[in-house]
Amino acid sequence: MRFIVVVILVFLIGAAVFADSRHSERRLLRADPDALLADSALLRFAADRGRSLFLVHCASCHGVSGAGDPLNGVPDLTDSDWLYGTGRVADIEQIIEYGIRSRNSRAWSLAIMPAYARPHPNPADKNIRPLSPGEIGDLIEFLFRQQGREADAAAASRGAALYTGDAGCYDCHSADVKGDSAIGAPNLADRITLYGDGSRDALYQSIAYGRQGVCPAWIKKLSAAGIRETAVYVYSMSHPRVERSHPGDVANAN
Amino acid sequence: MPTDQKVNPPPWRDPTRVSSVRSFALMTFGALIGLFLAGYSLFTARGVSSLSVPAEDVALVNQQPISRSDYLILLQTLYGVDLSHATREQRQKALNDMIREELFVQRGKELDLASSDPDVRSALVNAVELEISEDAITAQPNEATLRDYYTTHPERYVSEGSMNVRDWVFRADDHGGLAAALEALKSPVIPAETLARLHARESGKTQGDEFYFAAKIHLGDQLFAAARELPDGAASRPIQLSDGVHVLYMVSNKRPVPFDFAKARPQVLNDYRNHAIEQLKAGDESFLRKRANVRIAVDLR
Repeated sequence: MRFIVVVILVFLIGAAVFADSRHSERRLLRADPDALLADSALLRFAADRGRSLFLVHCASCHGVSGAGDPLNGVPDLTDSDWLYGTGRVADIEQIIEYGIRSRNSRAWSLAIMPAYARPHPNPADKNIRPLSPGEIGDLIEFLFRQQGREADAAAASRGAALYTGDAGCYDCHSADVKGDSAIGAPNLADRITLYGDGSRDALYQSIAYGRQGVCPAWIKKLSAAGIRETAVYVYSMSHPRVERSHPGDVANAN
Repeated sequence: MPTDQKVNPPPWRDPTRVSSVRSFALMTFGALIGLFLAGYSLFTARGVSSLSVPAEDVALVNQQPISRSDYLILLQTLYGVDLSHATREQRQKALNDMIREELFVQRGKELDLASSDPDVRSALVNAVELEISEDAITAQPNEATLRDYYTTHPERYVSEGSMNVRDWVFRADDHGGLAAALEALKSPVIPAETLARLHARESGKTQGDEFYFAAKIHLGDQLFAAARELPDGAASRPIQLSDGVHVLYMVSNKRPVPFDFAKARPQVLNDYRNHAIEQLKAGDESFLRKRANVRIAVDLR
């Protein structure tokens, strides 16, 4: 008799845990992703489950800690610099769901860094002409000057004219060189670099041979709950106080 | 009242005795669990008729779900607001738009528009190709695979060569001038008066430091072929063209240099993925052709 009681109890406890988990999952899915920050219990639930998904699906590129890999253009997810969107949970969720240049029709794929040392820098845009080695050098000096680093003044002036003129850089990176997170064009005025160490050589490599990193679309591989859990976990990486915080902390975390 | 009388437990509590009450209770409990599990699966599984809208969706239109995340994206696109800041009218408008779209898509399927509308056909072909691509992109190749790809395609991972070459043109009949020019061109700086004396002019085809592909376009195939072999500070042999005799002087020639794997890796990954996508597309097409029943008109066989 005791055995039966134990079996029933174990079953009931398991069912209760499962039901609670499903309930939390449903709450998570029905919540406004950006309003989640006000519910620390739900946030913790999502971040805990998101971590295991991140390790399986994202860590192979972004690293276990999410610090990225500048050699390969994998962004750091632990800082507060967001290339696409503003780092809201909803923005992160959209990237995980549809990817970046993933060939999904809803992916972020507008911004492609042309390869200016190739005959056709951007096959999709015939108006972009190649640059000469000297012109690329001028652009690099211009960017160095914008970052407050030592630069050749004459070359930087020529680079400025190219930036806002023939080379068409302003079109994505904006006239003030601060990028455009609405299309994923990086801010070139700060020292945060997606590729390489920000040296002249690294900049030359980017301008001459182009960049077009890819983040896969996970919509077919992960459930809706899994995508949101991963998004919450990624959010928590750049907001370390989120997982143990109450709403006041979260609001000030960044 | 006797106080030491032993109380016998009821028969359903004694596992050593058969109890129809206990059997019935356990059977009922088991049946309830079974019904619960069956009901849960029936009403929550994807693709079946559901009584409730799954949490990840905002609506079901003829059992076709409308994704909540797509709804949030539409709200953001239409009004620039998230769900908690959207007004009731905004939410309703976005939802109605999505329901309308789903209804029209379903109607389009009923009408079999894919068989007659070239735009729908083209969209379907693109969508299927994208679907294939996504699978290839999600699969992350390991480093050994990428290195292997890099070593088997070395020609793709080289820098673009560049040159700064000067192109002098002489009159075809001025043999003496040519000989003098070849001597003069050995000097890195050639005074204009020297060239004038030699009756030479600069062709104007080259524009300082240029990448190879640009120099090739400007110089033409014949002159470029001669130029790319010249080391820094060397002059070419005279090359007879329709506009005179050309002599090239190479100021600097930076030949293409192979990138090491670390530098080339982002490009290797892209190329590898593109290659995998093309292979998958070919594989899918082959599979579709194999299972299809294709009959071709007699005159086109």
